[in-house]
Amino acid sequence: MAEASISERAERLSRRRARLLPILGILFLTQQASYFMGPGFGTGDRAVDHVRITAWLALSTILLLALATGGGWIYRREVRDLANDESTRAHRDAGFRWGFIVTIAAALGVYVLSMVEPISVQEAVHVIVTAGMLTALLRFGFLERRAQRDG
Amino acid sequence: MVERLANRIKERRTELGFTQAELAERVDVTRKTVNTVENGIFTPSATLAIKLARALELSVEQLFWLER
Repeated sequence: MAEASISERAERLSRRRARLLPILGILFLTQQASYFMGPGFGTGDRAVDHVRITAWLALSTILLLALATGGGWIYRREVRDLANDESTRAHRDAGFRWGFIVTIAAALGVYVLSMVEPISVQEAVHVIVTAGMLTALLRFGFLERRAQRDG
Repeated sequence: MVERLANRIKERRTELGFTQAELAERVDVTRKTVNTVENGIFTPSATLAIKLARALELSVEQLFWLER
């Protein structure tokens, strides 16, 4: 079977990424729900809490790197460069812009909330990072999916 | 008054018998980018506008114009 061309591979990467981003966003949100609703929430002193927090830190870092670089690390450089063409970069920038606005809004909200309800640093960071990351992922994913349509 | 960048990419591409994917390959972008430019969703950079015009054998002004 003939090997797929660089443009075909880039197209595939682009489509996969558009499909995967909202799923990763929902997975990330679910992970947060389990953090806030699970037993021992906020204490972080049991082994299970350490595992949960480490998993959250790892997923947050991976998602941030994927957003910053466009992901697709298993693909060759030429494929990644093509898949990260100028419309993709513009969509990613829009994702970052929305993510930044929501991050600041969430930080302000948490600040106000902390005046009436005590909130730990860990909880505050979880809320702020989740809001910003989820927004950036969903916005980037939405724009990429819209761009794939109407071909 | 808001101005919009209109184009005749689809019309010209069809005349020359190119698919979106073929045009995308000629200008080193993905089909998705050609699709968004063609539908007026994404405003291309000057570099991409020149590449598209060359690939479609038109000048940039013939391919793109401002609409109110």
